[in-house]
Amino acid sequence: MARKPQDNPQLDMTPMIDVVFELIIFFVVTIKQEDIFSKLNANRPAPATSSASEENDTQVKIDIGSGGLVFNGRLMNPKQFDQALREISKTSKSAMVTIRCSLDSYHKYLVYALDTCNKYRMFNVSVFTI
Amino acid sequence: MARRIQENPQLDMTPMIDVVFELIIFFVVTLTQCNAKDETIRLEDGRHGIELTPEEMPPTQMTVDVARTGRISMGDITLTPEQIGQRVKERKRKFGEFPVLIRADKNARHEAVARVMNACTANGIWKISFMAIHEHKAK
Repeated sequence: MARKPQDNPQLDMTPMIDVVFELIIFFVVTIKQEDIFSKLNANRPAPATSSASEENDTQVKIDIGSGGLVFNGRLMNPKQFDQALREISKTSKSAMVTIRCSLDSYHKYLVYALDTCNKYRMFNVSVFTI
Repeated sequence: MARRIQENPQLDMTPMIDVVFELIIFFVVTLTQCNAKDETIRLEDGRHGIELTPEEMPPTQMTVDVARTGRISMGDITLTPEQIGQRVKERKRKFGEFPVLIRADKNARHEAVARVMNACTANGIWKISFMAIHEHKAK
């Protein structure tokens, strides 16, 4: 039963196009549009260097407790905190920021504090746990 | 038994296309498995951070997930802080200094995040980054 050679053989594209369309539809339906992510850098100071600081740099100390952000001994809402850091950034660009987090504080406050520091170009940030 | 020469030979593309599609599907499926992560994590907004482009994510980077419950994981495998420390130690021996990215839920307690940070610092990694959302895309 020899296969009869065709005079003018043509590749039938129809099944391939069908499959390609099926795949396109499959990927369009299943693909998830991802958020764009960012990273916020921080230093974890070594115990020996934690007390060493340069005298000429402005020191900014932020405390984070379970209730939120505490700055200069005052519990602040995000707007007040933003305003306070903006004031500091006007006078000192190379401020050394120290964030002290309590164990029961929420991570969102730390991210918010780091994000606000980045907003006002304060990149020298250290994170402690208390 | 000589093979008969065809007058107008044509290459049959069908098996090749089949194989190509099989390969595409294989890589799509395996790639998704490689990027396995804790899907329950909800990140806090961080619009002023450095945008995480592929250039900002070197292959040596280590990403650690911290869920709201305090579960610490890497690639959806639950790990103890000691195991994280072990991985940091091994990676540092291989690559030297490398970046650590903590992908923690916004409502996770700092205690769990501190455990990961302590595991890093105990093994000589002092620079730690936190993942946040630069821009929302998904509704």
